[in-house]
Amino acid sequence: MPVVKAVTCPVCGSLCDDIELTIENGRIVKVKNGCAMCEAKFLGYCCEHRVLKPMIRKDGELVKTSLKEAIRRAAEILAEANYPVLYGWSNTSCEATSVGIELAEEVGGVIDNTSVVCHGPSILSIQDVGIPSCTLGQIRHRADLIVYWGSNPWSAHPRHIERYTSFSEGRFEKSAWRGYVTKIKALVGRKKIQSAIKRLVLKKPSQISTHLEPTFVSPIMRKGRKLIVIDVRRTKTAEMADFFVQVEPNKDYELLQAFRALIRDQELAVDKVAGVPVEYLEDVADAMVSCDFGALFFGLGLTMSGAKLRNIDAALSLVRDLNMRTKFIIMPMRGHFNVTGANTVSTWQTGYPYAVDFSLGYPRYNPGETSVVDVLLRKESDAALIVASDPVSNFPHKAAEHLAENPLIVIDPHMNVTAQMADVLIPSAFVGIEAAGTAYRMDHVPIPLKKVVNPPRGILPDEEILRRILAEIRKIKKKQEAA
Amino acid sequence: MMVNLYPLKELKLPIVAECINPDIFQGKKPAEIEKLEVWEGNKQKKLGELFKAEIAETEDASENTVVVIHGDISRVKRIGAGMKNGEIIIKGDAGMHLGEEMKGGKIAVYGNVLGWAGSMMKGGTIEIHGNAGDYLGAPYRGSTEGMKGGKIIVHGNVGREAGAHMHKGIVKIYGCAGQFAGFRMHGGTIYVQKDCEARTGACMVEGTIVVSGRIESVMPSFTIEGVKKKVKIEEGEVVETPFYLFLGDLTENGRGKLYVAKDKNPHLSHYEKYL
Amino acid sequence: MELLIRNGFVYDPVNGVNGEKMDIAIKNGKIVEKVNERRAKKIDASGMVVMPGGVDIHSHIAGGKVNSGRLLRPEDHFKDFERKTVTTRSGVGYSIPSTFTTGYRYARMGWTTVMDPAMPPLEAKHTHEELSDTPIIDKASYPLLGDWWFVLEYLKNGQIEECARHVAWMITATKGYAIKLVNPGGLEAWGFGRNVNSIDDPVPNFGITPREIIRGLCKVNKLLNLPHTIHVHTNNLGKPGNYVTALETMECVEDLADGDKPVIHITHCQFCAFKGDDWRTFESGAEEIANYVNAHSHVTMDMGQVIFTDTTTMTADGPFQYILYTLSGNKWVNHDVETETSAGIVPFHYRRKSFVHATQWSIALELALLIKDPWKILMTTDHPNGGPFIAYPRIIAWLMSRKAREATLKKINPKARSRSLLPSIDRELSFYEIAIVTRAGQAKALGLKNKGHLGVGADADIAIYGFNPEEMEPSKKYKAVRRAFKRAAYTIKGGQVVVKDGEVLKHMDGATMWLDVQLCEPCEIELNEDMKRRFKEYWTVGYENYPVTEDYLAVSHPITVKADV
Repeated sequence: MPVVKAVTCPVCGSLCDDIELTIENGRIVKVKNGCAMCEAKFLGYCCEHRVLKPMIRKDGELVKTSLKEAIRRAAEILAEANYPVLYGWSNTSCEATSVGIELAEEVGGVIDNTSVVCHGPSILSIQDVGIPSCTLGQIRHRADLIVYWGSNPWSAHPRHIERYTSFSEGRFEKSAWRGYVTKIKALVGRKKIQSAIKRLVLKKPSQISTHLEPTFVSPIMRKGRKLIVIDVRRTKTAEMADFFVQVEPNKDYELLQAFRALIRDQELAVDKVAGVPVEYLEDVADAMVSCDFGALFFGLGLTMSGAKLRNIDAALSLVRDLNMRTKFIIMPMRGHFNVTGANTVSTWQTGYPYAVDFSLGYPRYNPGETSVVDVLLRKESDAALIVASDPVSNFPHKAAEHLAENPLIVIDPHMNVTAQMADVLIPSAFVGIEAAGTAYRMDHVPIPLKKVVNPPRGILPDEEILRRILAEIRKIKKKQEAA
Repeated sequence: MMVNLYPLKELKLPIVAECINPDIFQGKKPAEIEKLEVWEGNKQKKLGELFKAEIAETEDASENTVVVIHGDISRVKRIGAGMKNGEIIIKGDAGMHLGEEMKGGKIAVYGNVLGWAGSMMKGGTIEIHGNAGDYLGAPYRGSTEGMKGGKIIVHGNVGREAGAHMHKGIVKIYGCAGQFAGFRMHGGTIYVQKDCEARTGACMVEGTIVVSGRIESVMPSFTIEGVKKKVKIEEGEVVETPFYLFLGDLTENGRGKLYVAKDKNPHLSHYEKYL
Repeated sequence: MELLIRNGFVYDPVNGVNGEKMDIAIKNGKIVEKVNERRAKKIDASGMVVMPGGVDIHSHIAGGKVNSGRLLRPEDHFKDFERKTVTTRSGVGYSIPSTFTTGYRYARMGWTTVMDPAMPPLEAKHTHEELSDTPIIDKASYPLLGDWWFVLEYLKNGQIEECARHVAWMITATKGYAIKLVNPGGLEAWGFGRNVNSIDDPVPNFGITPREIIRGLCKVNKLLNLPHTIHVHTNNLGKPGNYVTALETMECVEDLADGDKPVIHITHCQFCAFKGDDWRTFESGAEEIANYVNAHSHVTMDMGQVIFTDTTTMTADGPFQYILYTLSGNKWVNHDVETETSAGIVPFHYRRKSFVHATQWSIALELALLIKDPWKILMTTDHPNGGPFIAYPRIIAWLMSRKAREATLKKINPKARSRSLLPSIDRELSFYEIAIVTRAGQAKALGLKNKGHLGVGADADIAIYGFNPEEMEPSKKYKAVRRAFKRAAYTIKGGQVVVKDGEVLKHMDGATMWLDVQLCEPCEIELNEDMKRRFKEYWTVGYENYPVTEDYLAVSHPITVKADV
C-alpha cells in the first residue's frame, strides 16, 4: 500500500506537515502523526454530504446541471452585479485566492476572507501598534515562558503545544513534558489528600479562590519552560499551566493595561483588576519580565470579547513594552488552515489583508465599511460568491438573511447551510487532499499542500473553477462592449 | 448661492460622492453640477442620475455657497470631504466619511450619521442633530492623524472610539458615548453630557475628557488627582458640579485629564481614600 | 519580432559607447547586429537618450517582510492607488507598492531588472510567489545566510568546503542568486534580544565572530564561483561611529581579493558611514570610506540614498529596527525566523529640517561623488529604507547637477548644511556615468552578462528617455532630467515595447533568475541522513516541504554555476 509522507494537514493554522497517509484503492485508509481533527478530516472528508454535481436553482429548487451551464450562470450573475461580494478563501489555496482577487477586480466587487469574523480585528490593531513576532521554531528553540490568552490549543490546535511550544524540544530549551507529568502526579496526589481530609475531618478544605488554585505547584517544582494561561474559564490547557489567571468576562483589556502599568513598575490605585488581586498580577508580571524569551499566543477569546480589537492593541503594546526588559513575541492563533494565506495574497496584490473593495476600480480598504459582514448588514450587495466557507451558519442573522436574498454562487465540496441557499452551486475538490496548492502557517511560513488522491470524476479545484468563471465573465464583457 | 439637491430614487447601493462640496459647486449652473462624477456601486455615474439640482438665489449677497440635501442619503459617502468654505445642510440621514479631512465651513445634519464623520478633520464645524456612528473624528486605519482642529457637536449618541488620536479641536456629545472615547488622545477636548461606556480615555497622553453622566468604569491605569468644583469645556461653557479628576494613561506615561461627575458616579467613591 | 531603434544618443558604458548617435537592432528578444530594415518595427529615438534597461542591485520588493510592511501601513497606500485599466491590474503605491504596481512603476522609469536583497530561506516560497506576481521586470533574490546555524557551525569548525556545499544546496533550494549577510552574528544574538557590537564581538552560544562569518562566506562565495560577491549589510548599521565597522568589514576580506575582481559588496553604505560618538556629534564619514574605496579594488557598494519623505524602513537587521522603533516611537514589527535570520519594520519620516536626516541625505551623495570610479558605487535608495524607488529621477538629478544639489541644500537643516561636504564638491556625473551607476555597473557587480549593456547578444532590455543632450545641459536643466527619467519615452523589455510615454502598454511576466550551483562531485546533501536529522531538530518544516520547486516561478531562468568544491 502506498504511503505518502510529509503531507500538510489542511485543518488548523498550525499546518503540521509531517502527516503520513496510507492510500488504498484511491482512498485514504490510515493517518499517522495527526491529531483527532486531522484524522477526522483525512478519513472523513468523503462523507455523505459531498456534492458531486453542479446545481442551479430553478423554480425554487436546486437541480443538477452541467458544469458549463453552472459556470455560465455564475458568470452572468457576477457580470451583471453592481456591488457583488466575494467571500470565504480561508479553506482554499493561495493560488485560488489569487484568481479570486483577479475576479473581484474584474467585476468591481468586495473581496473578503473569514478573518473578518476571526482575527480581522487583530489585524486592525497590528496596523496601529505593529507586532513583535517570529516563526514557531524560534519559540521551540528559545522560549522559556509561554502564555496562552483566550485560547485553548489543547482542543483547537491540538499539536501546537507539542510541536512548537511547551512540550517541544529546542536547541536552547527542552520539553516541559516531564515537569508536566510530575505536576499532574502531584495534583492527583493533592486531590487525594484533600478528599481524605474531607472524609476524615468532615470539613471542607479551605477554599482557595479559583485563579489561585493549582498555580503555586510548579514554579518551585521545576526549571525550564513555564506556562501561563489566561482565560475566562478553566480550560484543559489551563490545567497544565504554572499560572492560571481567571479573568472576569470582557475585562481582558483592563487586565492587559494593568500588566502594562506593572511591567513599567507603576503602582496601581486599585486592589483588584478584572476580578484578580493585584498582588497575584504582580507575580505574573514578574514571571513575564524575568524570562529570557516569552511568547504570548492569543485566540478569539481575546479578539472577540469586551474591548474587541483594542484588546489586541493592548496585548501588542504589552509585548512591545516587554521588549524593553527581555525578549518577548506575540502571535494570533489562526483557526482555518489558510486564513493567513488569504491575508497574505490579498496584501501583496492589493496592499490590504482583507475587506478589499474594488468597486471604484482600485483597492480600497476600511473594515467596518468595506467588510462583508457590514456590507451585508447595510443590505448593499446585490450578488455573492462564496468559496470554501459557510457564512450563513456563522454570520449575524441579519447579514445571513441579506446574503440569502442575493443571487448566490457557492463553490464548496460540501452541502453546507450556505450551499443549500445557493442559486448556483459548484462542487469543488478538497484542497490539500484532492488538489495541491500553497498555504501559510499562522507564523507566515508558506507550506505546500499535496494532492494525495483524485477528486470524484468531473470535480475541479477551486482555482480552476474560478479561472473558468473569470474567462466567461471576460467573454460576456467583450460581447457587451461589441454590442 | 444656495443649491438644493433632491434624491431621484431610493438609494440602495453605496455611493461615493465627494463632489458634493460647496467649493466644487460654487459658481456652477445646475446642469454643470448634475454632470459631476460619482460612483454608484461599481458604476461611474453623473450626479444628475441620482440627484436633481436646483439653484435658489439667496438674498445673502455673500460668496457663501450653501448646499441643501433633502432626503435620506445614508448610502452616500464622503459628502463635503476636504471642504474649505461654505455650508452643507442635510435634511435626513447622512452616510460615512461625512466631512472627512474638512478644513473649514459648516456641515449640519438633521438626522443620523454613519461612521467616520469628521475623520481627520482640520477645521470647520460639523453639527449632528441625531446620532453619530463609530470613529467620530478618528483617523483612517493605521494612521495616527486624528482631529487637528475644528468642532464636532452631536446632539444624540455616538459609537465607539469618538475622538480617537485627537490632537486639537473639540468634540461635544450631548448624548451618550460608546467605548474608548478619546482613545490614544493627544490633545483637544471631548465633552460627554450623558453616560460613557468603559475604557474612556484609554492610552490617552494629553487632552481633556469631561463626562457629566455615569461612566461605566475608570481604567486601572488612571490615578485620581483630586476633586474639582467645575470644569470649563470651552469659552462660554462651564459645567458647575463636582468632578473627580483622574490622570492617565499610565501605560503611555500620559498626563491626560479625565473629569467624571462625582454625583453620578458613586461607584467611584472608593478612589477618595487615595486623596 | 524585429525592432529597430533609430538615431538615439546611445550610452552603453560596457561597450564604451558614449552618447554616439546610432541604431540598435533587436530580434527575438536579443540585441543583434542588424535587422531587416523594412520588416522591423521602428522607433524614432532621435533627440533622445538610449540606455540599457535599469538594473537595481538592492530593492526590497517582495517577500514576508515587505508584505508585513504593506499590511502594517494602510495609511501609507490609501491615497496613492492605481486604477485597473484594460491592460493593467490595479494596486496601491507609495513606499511599499503592491506587486503589480511595483513592476509597472519600475518599468515606467525604464528599469527592467531588480534584485530583492533579503530572502529568509524558510519563507523563500513567499518571496518567489510575490516575485512571480511582479510583472515586466526580471528579478532575483538573495537568501539570508549570515546567521544560518549550518554556516555558523561549519565555519566555527573550520569546515569551509562543507559549508560551501551546504550554501550551494541552500541557494539552489531557495532559488536564490547571491549570499546575503545582514549584521552577521547580530541576528542570532537578537534571537535572545541581544546584538553584537563589532566584527570581533563573539556571537552568544556559537563561539564565532562576525569577522569569521564574513571571511568564511567570502571564501565560500569564491569556492562556489558565484556571479555576485557576498552582499553585506554591516554590523552596527545605523549607529553613530559605524564607519569604522564598515572600514573593518572591507579590510577583513582585503587579502581574499584576486586581482581587481571585487570580493565584497557593502550595501546601502550611507547607513554605515556615520561618524561621531552619538546623535549630537553625528557627522559624515563619507570621506574616510571614499578614501578607502578609492585606494582598493576589492569592494563595490551602493548608496542607500535618503529621500525627504515618509517611508517604511525594513531590514533583516532586527536589533537595528528595534533601535529605530525606540528612537521614533512609531509602530514596530519584528519577525525572527528560526535557525536563519530575523526582520524588523518601522515606518519612518525623513525630514529636511532634521539634522540627522539631512546629514544622511548628504552622506549618500558625498559617497557617490567622492568615490572616483562610478563602477564601485551604485545608485540605490535601499528601497524603501532610504525612500521609495520612484525617487530615482531625483537622485539622478542631484548626481548630474550641482545646481540641483544646491537647491535642496538651501532647504535643509542649517547645521547639517554647514557641515555638509557637498558645497565643496563640483563633480557632476555625465549621462555615461549615470548609465554606469544605474545599469552597467549594477549588472557588472551582479555578474549579469546579458544585462546592463547593448552589445550584440545582450537581452533587449532598453530604456529611452526624452532628453536631448545636444540641446540641453543636464546640469542646468536638472528638472528636465527628472521629468525624463520619471516617465521613460519607451521601455523595451525582452524586445517588446512595454512602456510608451510613461504609460504601461502591457502586463507580461518577467523572469526570475536563480543559480543552479553544480558541485564537482554530485552532492548527496539532499538525501543525507545527517541532514534529515538536523532538519528535524532545526526547523519546524519537513525537509520534503522546504525547497522551492520551480513551479513557484512564473518564468524560471536558471543560471548554471560550476563550483570548485
